[in-house]
Parts: sequence; C-alpha cells; structure tokens
Amino acid sequence: MKATDFNIIIAGQAGQGLNTISGLLLKTLTKGGWHVYASQNYMSRVRGGHNFMNIRISQSPVFSTPAGANMLVALDQRSVDEHLRRLEDPAVVVYDMESVKPAQGANGTIWAGAPLLKLAKENGGVIYQNSVALGGIMALLGVGLTDLSGVFSKRFSKNRKVLEDNVRAAKAGFDYMTSINGHFNFMPTLPQREKRLLMNGAEAMGLGMIAGGLRFVAAYPMSPSTGVFTYIAEKAARVGIIAEQAEDEIAAINMAIGASAAGARSATMTSGGGLALMVEGVSLAGIMETPLVIADLQRPGPATGLPTRTGQEDLDFVLSLGHGEFPRFIFAPGTVEETFYTSAAAMNLADKYQVPVFILGDQLLVDSYSTLDKLDIPKIRNENYLISNEHLGKEPYLRYRFTETGVSPRAYFGQAGTHFISDCHVHEEDGHISEDAEISSKMAEKRFRKLIGMKNEPYGPKYYGPEKAQVALVCWGSTYGAVKETVDNFGQEGGGLGMVHFNRIWPFPGEDTLEILRGCKKIFVVENNIQGQFNRLLRRETGIRTEEPILRYDGRPFSVQFITQEILTRLA
Amino acid sequence: MSATSEFHYERETSWCPGCGDFQILKSVEQALVALGKKPGEVLVVSGIGQAAKLPHYLNANGFNGLHGRALPPAFGAKCANHELTVLVTTGDGDCYGEGGNHFIHAIRRNIDITVIVHNNQIYGLTKGQASPTSDIGFVTKTQPGGVVLTPFNPLAVAISLEAAFVARAFSKDTDHVASLIVEGVKTPGFALIDVLQPCVSFNKVNTYQWYQQRVYRLDEDGYDPADKLKAFEKALEWGERIPTGVLYKNPRAESYLDHFIKPGEKPLVKRERPRGEIEALVNEFYSEI
Repeated sequence: MKATDFNIIIAGQAGQGLNTISGLLLKTLTKGGWHVYASQNYMSRVRGGHNFMNIRISQSPVFSTPAGANMLVALDQRSVDEHLRRLEDPAVVVYDMESVKPAQGANGTIWAGAPLLKLAKENGGVIYQNSVALGGIMALLGVGLTDLSGVFSKRFSKNRKVLEDNVRAAKAGFDYMTSINGHFNFMPTLPQREKRLLMNGAEAMGLGMIAGGLRFVAAYPMSPSTGVFTYIAEKAARVGIIAEQAEDEIAAINMAIGASAAGARSATMTSGGGLALMVEGVSLAGIMETPLVIADLQRPGPATGLPTRTGQEDLDFVLSLGHGEFPRFIFAPGTVEETFYTSAAAMNLADKYQVPVFILGDQLLVDSYSTLDKLDIPKIRNENYLISNEHLGKEPYLRYRFTETGVSPRAYFGQAGTHFISDCHVHEEDGHISEDAEISSKMAEKRFRKLIGMKNEPYGPKYYGPEKAQVALVCWGSTYGAVKETVDNFGQEGGGLGMVHFNRIWPFPGEDTLEILRGCKKIFVVENNIQGQFNRLLRRETGIRTEEPILRYDGRPFSVQFITQEILTRLA
Repeated sequence: MSATSEFHYERETSWCPGCGDFQILKSVEQALVALGKKPGEVLVVSGIGQAAKLPHYLNANGFNGLHGRALPPAFGAKCANHELTVLVTTGDGDCYGEGGNHFIHAIRRNIDITVIVHNNQIYGLTKGQASPTSDIGFVTKTQPGGVVLTPFNPLAVAISLEAAFVARAFSKDTDHVASLIVEGVKTPGFALIDVLQPCVSFNKVNTYQWYQQRVYRLDEDGYDPADKLKAFEKALEWGERIPTGVLYKNPRAESYLDHFIKPGEKPLVKRERPRGEIEALVNEFYSEI
C-alpha cells in the first residue's frame, strides 16, 4: 500500500444499506478527483450475515485491495469484531454509538462514534441514517460536503423533499463529527480535480459488448454474471437490443445461436454451473460456425461452491468444453478498462472467425469498481463480416464453402432472397448432412485453418516491470491488479520482479510467451485455484520450467501482502 | 400443387418408405406455396429426430440444431429478423420430452412462430422406445412391461398457457395439415400444430388404420375455438374419438415482439447503430466536476 493511499472498509449486514453508502461515497470521491478501487465481499443471502466493501482512495490509478485499512465504517457490532485487526495504527472507526460498542484496538485507533440513528430521526427519519454517516465520513476525510451534495442532487433530482432531507441529514452528521473529532488528518492531500468514469467490471463488460455491436442477449440469472445481463437489459430498448431472460441456460445459449445464425451479434453470460448446462450449445456453435460470445464469470465450485466469492477454477473446463473438436477464443481481461475493450473485441472476433469466443472473468472482476480516465470509443472498429448482397448474387451461395482461411462467406437468414441451411451434423459445403469420409476430414481441416488467423489477433501476453527482471510473476484475468502492485512495491531482491499478464489464453500465444520469458531465472504463476491450471497450460504449451505456483483457493482475491510474502518465502 | 414448387428439393431422404413424415413435408410445401412465400423468406428450425431432418429436404432457409432445442433458436432467429416466416419441425420426443421446458416457456413468450410436431407416439430414430405421448400399456424394448407414465397432453398444456393457436391434425390428411399451417402462420403469436403421424417401422399399435378409425374434424359441427373451456374438453378427448382441427385460438394473444419492435421498424439485423449512441452510454459513467 502506498503512503498516499487511504483505505476504507464499510461493513454491516445485508439489507443495512451498505451498497447505498458505498455507491454514494465512490461517486463523491470520483467527483472529488480521486482514483478509487473498490471490491465487494458479500454472502449468498438477502438480509443479515456479514458483508463489506473495501474502498481504496489514491491520487494515482489503483487496482487492488490491500490487507489493511485506515477507516472502518461499522454498521453493526460484528463489523468491529471482524475488521478491527485489519486496521492500521492510527485508524478511525465510524459507528452508531447507541448500537455499537468500541473494542480493544491499537493505541492510535480513534473511536469516532456518533448518534447516527438519533440524528437521522431528528432530520427526516430513520432512512436517512446512511446520509448522516456519509456526512460524518466527509468530515473525517476533510473533504467538505459540496461533492456529496452534488451526488445527492443527481440521484434525487426527481424528488426535491428527499433531496433536501438527505442534504440536511448529511450536514447533521458532518457537523457532529467536526465538533467531536475535528478533521482526520492523515488522508492524502486533495488531488487535481479531473473528470473520470466510475464503473464496475460488469458494466464495463455489458458496455463493451454493446459497443462491439451486440443486438441480442439471452441469459439466466446467476451470481456473479447477473450484473452484466442487468446492465444490458436496462439499456436494451434504447440501443435496439433484445434481452431475454431464458427459462434455463440451455435455452439461453440456443436462443443466442439462433439470433446469431439470423445475423444479429449475440452473447450470453453465466457462471460455471450455468456454463455446464450450455456445453452442448457451445459445441453446436462450433460445428455450425455461428459467432457467439459467452462470458463465464467464475465463482469457486464445484457445483454451487461459494456462490458470491471469487475464483479462477474454470480454465481447464473452458479450454476443453464441448464434445468434438472446434476452434475457440478465450480471453481473460485483467482490469475494468481492459474488460470494456476485450468485450467489444470479442464481439468482432466472433463474427470475423465464426467461432465461440469466451470471456473468462470472475466475481472480483465484475463486482469491483474502478475509476477510468476515459474510454476511447473510436478505437473500437466494428467491421461488417457478413457477405455483401452484391457478392451473394454472383454464384450459388455455399454457407460452408472451403476457403484458404477456413472462414466461409457468411450470409444471414433472409438476406437478399438467398437461402441456406445451418447445420449441426457433419455437412457438405451447402450445409446439408453428409456422412462422407472425405467431406468429414475436409470440413474439420477447414474449421481448424481459422487458427492461423486467430493466432495473430491481439491481446497477447504483456510484460510489466523492470528490464531484465530475474523473477517473473505470471498471471491471467483478474489477478492483474494484485500482481502488478506487488511488482510496483517489490525491491531488488532476487534480481528484480516482473509480471507477465495473459488476456488472450487461447489460441495460446506460445511464441510471444517464450520471447517474453527468455532469460527469467524463476517463474511463478499466480492464480485463484488449487491445481495451478494455468501453470500446467503454460508448461504444456511452451515447455517452460516454472516454480511451484502461488495459489489461493479460499474464494478470496489475492492481496499484495499475500503474494509478496509467498515470493519472499520462496526466494529465501 | 405441382411436385416442383419452389420449395421442392429433390434429395434422398433417410425416412422409411410409407412414413408420415413425407406427408407432412408435402403439407409444408403446399402451405408455403399457398402463403405466397419465397424460399428466402422462410426459415425452418428443427432439433434432432427423423422429423427434425425436414429442413434438409426443403428448399428454404434451415437451422438444424440440437436435440430438444428447436424452440430457443427459432425464438432467437425471429427476434433477429422478424421479417422471416419461422416454422419449427419437431417430434414428440424432441419437443415434448427433451425440450419440454422450452415448450412451456416458448408458449408463454408467444413469439410469432408456427410449430409443427410430428407426433408418432414413439421414438423413431433411436429405434422404438416410448415417447412422452405413448399411451399407457404401450410395450417397447425399454418398457417391456408397458408404459406406466401418464401421457403428456401437449394441447391441454398449450391451451392452459393461452397459446395463440392450438391445432391437431392427422398426417394423411395433407390438405388439412397444410390449411392449419397456413392459418397458424397467419395468426400472430405461437401456433402449435400437433400432427398425428404413424411410425411404420416401430409403432405397430398407432397405425394409419388406428388413427383413421378415430379422428374426426371439429370444424364440421360449428365448434368455436375461442371458447377456452370447450377447448380444454376437446384436448382431453382421446381414445375412441380423437378431435382434429383448430382446438383453440386465443383472441387476445399478443406476439412477444409486439412489445419490443414497433410497427415498421427494421429487423435488428438490418439496423445501424447511430453515431453517438455508445458515447451517450459512456457519458453516464462520468462524474461531473
């Protein structure tokens, strides 16, 4: 953790308004010009239990959640008990003095209790307790009330009374905390006020798919993929998309394949259990050569596993799922920003090669918020990969024409009076069933010729760190943030530490990997599973010798502290 | 109808000689000609089974997908390009067994497609096991003591879910089947046509003669298909007499896409995204200073 960072834990029971406080606080801080990164920990329940959000504030971009914290906002007693040991010395605890009692913490712990509920009752009602708390937090952070009021104005623009009550409640909290505790003075100095976007990975994925030309989506709700579907469904009518909640995942993927065969760019999203139901559909898209984007937002398994936690256990599954053989893409973006661009690219690559494209994310990626400087929309190029009407008329149309690239010119049902069949069997060039031995092998070869082009597509491995580092941390997907910051904070021990992050996992970028890792003395793969799935893939595809991988499989994300400690132990 | 309509596709089939599938194929061709459609305007979606091979024997667009999964891609394709006339050709195993869940929810969605179920009360392609519509006591190799499961009643289910159009016919009566397909296509919303079709290889009970002796036409005695309770009563009638024709027509049925696509709007597949539409979405994430 950098000295300029400030870390807040907001904790309480499900249903206590944790998300409201966190959301408003994130917006307020973004408005104030801070970079933020926020990750969520929640239980699979609607009321009660124990949930918390980690909010990291910095003057420069941040990508992971540290182990420690400078402020705890405890909405119940359990929150104090659970998180007191994580607090730095000094740190401040914000709580309702009528329902939560201070406990024995470090000497420098400031117990900033306030009569949150009482102040709320005096200023409009119990429901304003969160706004009282927010006002108190603003006072302790020393950032004033202007930005919070601005966020309230936007949120409650339709109801003047509610807006005024919220502002008054926040002021009450602010004034109380100022009179009791004064300003909390180890917050980093105020940054320059820059206009930034605040977005979570689910929104970035949904937005990316839309920017990549999405027209049809069907899905069945499943944590942690639901946020992606929800975002798209909310925007669907505005941007000409049909978003259908299917009766099950089998229907979802088959709907998307039908829409895609009829020419509409299509996607579906789920988590491991849902993906298991979609497997036959993926195989169908494979032989039918129908473009399709499938987002697998992983959670730890097997079966129901840890429904609301994070993990990277589906890599082996996604590499091989679907009976029979067909080419596929697999991407695993590392940040919220990369999720946006990768999702848009996935839509285009699916169309370009007429293959299933997987985006492997996880709970950490989709539920975490990040500030972004901008999103470059003109950078996204949506090419039209369908055959033109002009070309269609020239010769008899063959849906599965043998070509050098393996990609056959693709028409859509109803296009310019032509007609054709999309088929699930081994078929001839015209799509009709064939059991001919020669056709069977020629069609398989045609499909796999696509790999020549697919291997040259971007999003290959990226190196980050000092030149000629002797030790490399290799990671994929959402572990990017913790690994990058481990590299940033690491000294010269062992000859320096570098990172190689994989976004495109398949087709595996073997040559680039060998080039990047040449000269590294020790290679540690860091991943959220017990078997070291990527570690095995890396060895298999490159023959590179790696050290015992650094693994975490308790449903929780890596932290810089966790990885650093593992490295130091292994290098000792 | 001449044997060489635009929809006719001369090709060796994998159907057994005398199979009811040939009759249904003839009816489909006949109906499409009567509707004045061109092959490029029609999409026939199927799953797996002998019935599901029909798109390969017809000159039109075809989507031959997975076993039990004909309805979901038909829904997706209709959403993508609502100008298409979408038919589904499926069997009793494909539609009522493997795809039973989709059958229920496709009716609830009431997407504007016409579903023709080749119902031969047996699994043909896998060589003679019971299907969801096999009668109790029906003996097969996998049910050597006879079927003990209550037969699935597709028409009663469809009526209970207020499908737009629910009909039954006997495959041998090709003109009747064709006329029902025409009416089903013309009716906005989900149209189910359950076609009783003998399996000449494996079903030695429900033969041409067996059906011929039992089927009768509802439209010959002033039957009102808008009456839901009456339709139910007719859907439950099975055994000595089997009603055919339009059992139910929901006068209030609204097609799924009526809620999402305005009249005259282009199909999704033909739409361009206006400049600035994505920027507007991005801008929602900016904090204002």
